[in-house]
Amino acid sequence: MKKVALLIIFVLILVTSLVKNSTKEIEDKIFVLNESIRFLKVEFSDTMLEYNFLSSPDKLVQYQSQYFEKDLIKIDIMKIKKISEVNKIIEISDFVKKINDE
Amino acid sequence: MMNKKNSKLILEEYENKFLYEKSKTNLNIEFNRIAFIFFVFTMISIIFSIQLFHLGSLKKENEAKPLIVKKNYRADVIDRNGNYLVKSVSSIDIGISPIDVIDKKRLLINLKWIFPKKNYTEIKKKLNKNKFFKFEKNISQINYEKIMSLGDKAIRPEEKLTRLYPQKNLFSHIIGQIDDDNNGISGIEKSFDKELKSSTEPLSLTVDTDIQFLIREELVRFHSIFRSKGSVAILMNVNNGEIISMVSYPDFDLNKRETLEDLNFINRASKGVYELGSVFKTFTIAAGLEAGLIEVDTEFLNLEKKLKCGKNTIGEYNNEIPSNLTVEQILIRSGNIGSVRIGQKLEIDKLKSFLNKIGILKKINFDIEEVGKPIPFRWGKCKLATVSFGHGITTTPLQLAKGYAIVTNGGFDIIPSLIKKNLDLTQNKKRIIKEGISKKINPILRKIVTKKEGTAGLANIEGYEIGGKTGTAQKTITGGYSRAKVNTFVAVFPISKPKYVMVVLLDEPKTSGDYIYEYRNQKGSYKGTPYNTAGWTSVEVAGKIIEKIGPILATKYIEN
Repeated sequence: MKKVALLIIFVLILVTSLVKNSTKEIEDKIFVLNESIRFLKVEFSDTMLEYNFLSSPDKLVQYQSQYFEKDLIKIDIMKIKKISEVNKIIEISDFVKKINDE
Repeated sequence: MMNKKNSKLILEEYENKFLYEKSKTNLNIEFNRIAFIFFVFTMISIIFSIQLFHLGSLKKENEAKPLIVKKNYRADVIDRNGNYLVKSVSSIDIGISPIDVIDKKRLLINLKWIFPKKNYTEIKKKLNKNKFFKFEKNISQINYEKIMSLGDKAIRPEEKLTRLYPQKNLFSHIIGQIDDDNNGISGIEKSFDKELKSSTEPLSLTVDTDIQFLIREELVRFHSIFRSKGSVAILMNVNNGEIISMVSYPDFDLNKRETLEDLNFINRASKGVYELGSVFKTFTIAAGLEAGLIEVDTEFLNLEKKLKCGKNTIGEYNNEIPSNLTVEQILIRSGNIGSVRIGQKLEIDKLKSFLNKIGILKKINFDIEEVGKPIPFRWGKCKLATVSFGHGITTTPLQLAKGYAIVTNGGFDIIPSLIKKNLDLTQNKKRIIKEGISKKINPILRKIVTKKEGTAGLANIEGYEIGGKTGTAQKTITGGYSRAKVNTFVAVFPISKPKYVMVVLLDEPKTSGDYIYEYRNQKGSYKGTPYNTAGWTSVEVAGKIIEKIGPILATKYIEN
C-alpha cells in the first residue's frame, strides 16, 4: 500500500513536471511569436504611414501636375457606365439616368 | 498545609494537556488542536479554490474593461478608409545635467563630434549654469546609440511621444492638438483623451480624406476669388448623421504645433454662430406643413412689399417679386413677407417648438468640444416675424446641416457624428416630424436649383439631382447690422432620395470682377459677380465642390 502511494506520488510529480515543461515551451513560443508580431505590426504601421503620406491627395495632385497633366482628367458622371449581367447577357447602361425635371 | 495540597491537585488535573514525556522534544500537543488548525487551513484552501474556479469560469465579455491609461501612449486616428490621420511615434529627447558632468571639456568634444552643427558657445554657457537643459529633441536612432556609448552619467535620455499628421492642415479643426504632457487640448484629441490613452485600437472617424481634400481645395481657391474672411463646408449623411467632411478655413498645420491666438482660426463649422438668413425659410414652411396650417399650394394674396414692425422695416430683397404667391413660390423666390405671413399663422409656440425639435435653438452635443451656443433671445411679435425669414436668430452651420437632414430625410432624428460606429440604418430610427413633410419640401428645394426664378441655378450639376436653399444675411454688430455678409447655401442630393446634405458658408465674401461664371440652366457665361449674394457666391462654390466630389460619392458609397 505504502509503495503504491509512493508510486502514485512519484508519477504525479513526473507528469506535473512534464506538463509544466511543455507549457513553458509553448509559453516561450507564444512569447517569441508575440514579439515577432509586435515587430511586424510596428513595421506595418510605419509602412502604412509612409504609404498614406505618399498617396495622400496632396501628393497625388503634385504627381499629376508633374507627370500626368494631360492624362488624368476629371470624371463626368454622365459618362460613367454600369455593367450588369442579366440572364448571362452583359448589359451596359448609364450609371446615372437623366431626369427631366427642369 | 491544606492549601499547598489543594494547589498540587489542580496541577494534576491539567496533566493531560501538556504532558512532559521522554520524547525527543518532550512536547505532546493534543490531537484536537491539530485537527482544528488543519480544518481551518482546509477551509481556507477550499474557499480560495472555489474563488479561483469562479474567476476562471467567468466569460470574457462579462468582464468589465477598465480604462487603463498608459503613460507615453496615444492611439492613432484613422479615417473611414483606414488612412492615418494621426500617428504616434516615440521619440527620444536628450537632456544634460551639468552637475553630473565629470569632464566638461571632454564631453563638449564628444558632443561636437556627434552633433557638429550645434552652437557650442551657447551649450558651454548652459553647462556652466549648472542647471538641467534639453540638448537635442527627437534624436535619431544612430545618434542615440552614439551619444549613449559615451557613457556619461550627465546625459539623460527621455522617451517622448510625438504625434505625426500626414494630412497636415486637412483635419486640423477636427483632430485638435495635444500639449507636451500628452493631454488633448482641443478637437478629438481633447474629447477622446482617455480613450486615446487607453485603447489599443486606432480611433476610426467618419471622415474621408480624399473628399476632405477636394472640398478644402475648392474652399481655398474661392477664398482668394471672393476674398472672404473664412469659409465652411460640411458634408453629412442625412440618414445617419455621419460627417464625411468638415472643413473650416483658414486652418493650420498640426505638425508645426503653433499656439494660435487669432480668432480667425476658430472652427467655424461647429463653433461659429451666425445669423444665416433665408435658409431658415425652409424650416418656417416645414413647421407650417407639420402644423397642418398650410399646404404647398396654399395661396397668400396681396402680399405687401414692406412691413413695419416696431422701429424696423421688413422688405423684400427683390421688389419684382409678385404680390400673390403660393407657399412653394415663397420658398423658390425666397419671399420675406410671405415667410412672415406663414410665421404669423404658425404663432410663436409652434415655430419655436419646431425649431427646438430639429435642434436649431440649443447648443448641440457633438464629438468635439468646440461647439457654439446659439444666442438666446426673447420671443415677441417682431421676433416671430424676423425669425420666419431667418433674421434675428442664430445657429451654427453644423446645426443647420442637422436641421436640413431631418427635414429632408423623412423626418428622422439624426445626431451628427465624427466617430465611426457601424450603425445599423434600419434600427433606432426615431421620427420626429411627420412623414409627408420631406415629400412636400424636397421637390421645392429642387425647383430652387432648376427654375429660372430660383436662387441657386449655379448648382444645377447634371447627374446629381441637387436641391437646396440659399441664405444671404448681413453680419450683426453691436446695435445693428454691418455691410459685411454671411452667404450660405444648403444643398441636399440626390433630392429624390436624399443621401447627403452639404452646407457651404462664406464669411464676409466680396464680389469678384474677374471670375467667370458658366451658367448651368442656360448656355453662356458671365464675367464678374453681379451681386454679393449666396446665389452668386456660395452656390457657385457648392456647385464646383459637388462636381468634383460627386463621382467619388456616387461610386465609392454606392453600397452604403
